[in-house]
Amino acid sequence: MSDVRCVSGVELLADYLEGLLPADVCASLEEHVLGCERCQAFVASYQATPAILRAATDVVLPEELRRRLDQWGSGL
Amino acid sequence: MAARAAAGDASAFGVLVSRYQQRVYRLACRLTSETDAADVLQETFLQAFRHLSSFRGDSRFGTWLYRIATNASLMHRRSRARRPTESLEPFLPRFDASGRHAATPDELRVAAHAEELLDQATLASKARDGLARLPDAYRDAFVLRDLEDMPTAEVAVILGIEPAAVRQRVHRARLMLRGFLQDAATRSEGGRR
Repeated sequence: MSDVRCVSGVELLADYLEGLLPADVCASLEEHVLGCERCQAFVASYQATPAILRAATDVVLPEELRRRLDQWGSGL
Repeated sequence: MAARAAAGDASAFGVLVSRYQQRVYRLACRLTSETDAADVLQETFLQAFRHLSSFRGDSRFGTWLYRIATNASLMHRRSRARRPTESLEPFLPRFDASGRHAATPDELRVAAHAEELLDQATLASKARDGLARLPDAYRDAFVLRDLEDMPTAEVAVILGIEPAAVRQRVHRARLMLRGFLQDAATRSEGGRR
């Protein structure tokens, strides 16, 4: 049985997702998450967070600023 | 194009300005604010032009420019008295005495559905607020690694820290922002009932 609990699983998550955990720790974590509905929900929302923030903070350069920069760049 | 610009071809630098201005502006918005991003953008290209001869082509031009833009953003932020903001610490995950998540699966899951539960303007405002409330060190690492999609090793070089420190800061930022989204989405969901 896995000795990983939700609290330790959360701390391992970033390294797990980057493939940096030793195989045995990796297996323990996966075993815990498979049997833990809370961790499955947590992992799903943890993984979704960067994409949500990325889309929500995407901005378009204002046209006036673009025009000024292009003018500056072409006048060098 | 970058090599031509570094060799003194001003028209080549003009092309690079056009090519990278959108990405630098977006980075500056994420590291500072839309109010300050215009100044950061201009400062970045001015610095890049002044130091073009120091670009040696051993890194990609985009990476070199991003380093300048990041430094310009951090300098700009430091020059401004930081408004007191509420910490995101309360949004870190909580556990019961046995080490189990204190929140229910439904509560934990809701952050993943923030885009469906919040309208676009509210979510954009929440996202800006969330970034601004992160500790600066977490914000810088998170923006470069997760929002600008730069490799951890490159972020480490730009911020002058070890890759392990980048991973740790990005992780803490994700935890705080995940909880912050959970709170916002839960309130929105509650308001609909």
